[in-house]
Amino acid sequence: MAARALFGALAATSLAGGIAGGLWRLGVAVPDPLAFAWAGQVLLVHGALMICGFLGTMIGIERAVAVKRRWAFAAPLASGAGALCLVLGQQTAGAWLGVAAALCFLAVNALVVWRQRAVHTLLLAAGAGAWLAGNLLFALGQGGDAVFPWWFAFLVMTIAAERLEMTRLMRRWPAASATMPAVLSLLLAGAAWSGAAPRAGGLLYGAALALLAAWLVVFDVARRTVSTHGVSRYMAVCLLGGYAWLGIAGAAWAAAAIGWPTRDIALHALGLGFVVSMVMGHAPVVLPAVARIKLRFGTFFYLPLAVLHLSLAVRLVPGSFSGPLRAVGASLNAAAIAFFAVTVAGAAVAWRIQHGAEGARKAR
Amino acid sequence: MSALAPPAEAVFPYEGPAQLRAPIAAALSRVVDPEVSMSIVDVGLVYGVTVDAAMVHVRLTMTSAACPVIELILDEAEAELDKAVPPELHIRLELVWEPPWGPERMSAGARRFMGW
Repeated sequence: MAARALFGALAATSLAGGIAGGLWRLGVAVPDPLAFAWAGQVLLVHGALMICGFLGTMIGIERAVAVKRRWAFAAPLASGAGALCLVLGQQTAGAWLGVAAALCFLAVNALVVWRQRAVHTLLLAAGAGAWLAGNLLFALGQGGDAVFPWWFAFLVMTIAAERLEMTRLMRRWPAASATMPAVLSLLLAGAAWSGAAPRAGGLLYGAALALLAAWLVVFDVARRTVSTHGVSRYMAVCLLGGYAWLGIAGAAWAAAAIGWPTRDIALHALGLGFVVSMVMGHAPVVLPAVARIKLRFGTFFYLPLAVLHLSLAVRLVPGSFSGPLRAVGASLNAAAIAFFAVTVAGAAVAWRIQHGAEGARKAR
Repeated sequence: MSALAPPAEAVFPYEGPAQLRAPIAAALSRVVDPEVSMSIVDVGLVYGVTVDAAMVHVRLTMTSAACPVIELILDEAEAELDKAVPPELHIRLELVWEPPWGPERMSAGARRFMGW
């Protein structure tokens, strides 16, 4: 119970710090921006908190729960503690704790591969390797052009590998399972190349993202489960909406590489449109498993999802031509995430009311 | 709730008293993988059930060893079996990875739903 509260607090601190950092960068007033370290790679702190602090910690917890080994929780503990250091301005300690987290997470993934040698488990391990590469570059003081492709490769590969695993249920073109690793290899090549040759590396990376979006739209089970009901349909809607943003992110990433002003579109179509949509989709299923909090699913889950996608459209379309509109869109993005957190809390309360305190005790 | 009607017959090997076969199959069919809206029986995750005088032994697999929902599915299977079998029988759920799961294990209804 205490451990769950600690991990919850670390993830929540990362998320709140990451969102505050993002808004502050766009000129939106948030409480006490001076609490952040101004020196050094301040532009990276928002990304580090969101990707390594919040998402890395959540994914680390998820994987540790799956392997059922106590030592596996060292990964999310290190990434959460690292994020806390970043929030407090301890850049070096925070960055190296991130490296330790990724190393431990790689070991956890090696255990998964040892238990089940399959294409998707190998891709999950490769994703962990991408996280380690990104964290090492971050700790060594490299800039966003070198670090972001690795960090996003970690998230994208983790999601893609899990989707590949699900597509085994669906009848598909026999070469489908071979093409996914090929696309993800292009992504890794693009990430590796981005440090040395940002233009060519970025083009390759963007192309790989767009190809992956096409792969997922064609082969994912979401195309079938969107016609079901309840939480399954909701998850499918989150997935399909996310794939559309992934395609947009790919095009914007490639365009940014050749000098178009689409960097904000690329990073946020990917981070918010694809990744956060995925998180919203899986929260009703994963939270009960990892946090032992039961949720009552209802159509109200669609509301924060709609706010996320609409606010992202505001941020990325009119926001590309106007700084103030971009800031409004970003504020609404933050509001969507807060709205989702409130929705989850409400769903937990609704479950307790429905099942009574007795059911809640049993669920623990 | 599963998107599919319960399978017409148990699609897993069963050894034990005939009168428990249907209630056990029904109990396991109530355990749904929320991601695909199909029961663990339809997905073909139940490798076999053996019932003797003291115990119900269920061998289950999962499609991924990296999935955090494994424990939740096992808990739910235990809760459903607990409602379906006589109280004197112990319930033992064994998670196995061999042989690896493949789509040929899905029920006819599940395969139709997934476009096979």
